[in-house]
Amino acid sequence: MAGARGERGPGPAAGEPQPQQPDACRVFPERPAQGKPPQGGLLSRFFPSDQKCQLMLLKTLETNPYVKLLLDAMEHSGCAVNRERHFSCEDCSGNVSGGFDASASQIVLCQNNIRNQAHMSRVVTHELIHAFDHCRAHVDWFTNVRHLACSEVRAANLSGDCSLVNEIFRLHFGLKQHHQTCVRDRAILSILAVRNISKEVARKAVDEVFESCFNDHEPFGRIPHNKTYARYAHRDFQNRDRYYSNI
Amino acid sequence: MADGGGWRPPRPCEAYRAEWELCRSAGHFLHHYYVHGERPACEQWRRDLASCRAWEERRSAGAQRSLCESERARVEAARKHALVWAPRQSPPADWHLPLPQEEKDQ
Repeated sequence: MAGARGERGPGPAAGEPQPQQPDACRVFPERPAQGKPPQGGLLSRFFPSDQKCQLMLLKTLETNPYVKLLLDAMEHSGCAVNRERHFSCEDCSGNVSGGFDASASQIVLCQNNIRNQAHMSRVVTHELIHAFDHCRAHVDWFTNVRHLACSEVRAANLSGDCSLVNEIFRLHFGLKQHHQTCVRDRAILSILAVRNISKEVARKAVDEVFESCFNDHEPFGRIPHNKTYARYAHRDFQNRDRYYSNI
Repeated sequence: MADGGGWRPPRPCEAYRAEWELCRSAGHFLHHYYVHGERPACEQWRRDLASCRAWEERRSAGAQRSLCESERARVEAARKHALVWAPRQSPPADWHLPLPQEEKDQ
């Protein structure tokens, strides 16, 4: 999440960019020329944007299998998540969808840029992966680009950001190993959204950490391609005591 | 691996069957090819399912060994990459602290 977001003061954190144009500004990547983002549907007619954001967040936290696993894993690691403390719905000045503010231990959801329930679930998953990394490791978000790159690679890889369907919607057509290309590209975009560095420096950092971080699937144990995989992963997480005591 | 009394398969046999079925599905073929550029290998899940059933039916020691070796290999494969960052021994101290006062007042 870029430092210049919405109502909040500077607070560098990992960011989730909107779909991309390659010549993005340093702080927020530009949206493609599509005009206004689509309305949130029926909800936007009856509820102010903060309440809509909170309702979508609540539904995600209660029902999405990716998020439920991440919440369990974070509780297991000593970072139980409290919705009111650890999430904030805000209007963001740029085009990012959300971010993780490590200095405040809070996930920011850009309510003016989150389009619908599915998008909310994906953003929450993405940012919870950053929060999970913050909880389980000494991640130097502010001065170590490799650490930031690693978490962005993991978030792009495991959140569904780079699913075949999402890439097709972005008009990125590719099949054989295209997932990895998407993960690299989106990790670079996310880094550029929160760091005033060149694209080449960001790309170099992603290249250096990619092998390790792309294959780090914690807490899922696999790449969750859809909700079925996420449910299986959650089942395995809940079974971990039996698993490790019998191998 | 725990020996003798008290040991049971690391996963319920139903989980091995579900993983094998998922691995063999057309959807998984597509996902795996999209990520890795090659077809998935599902034979080990089938072997593990057979071992699990052999244990359940006749407490086969060979099946127990086979399952343990297979799952240990999976764990090793998941851990072979070097970590970029140092793991924590305890969670961040400020995770549960209230937000800074000035933000509360805004």
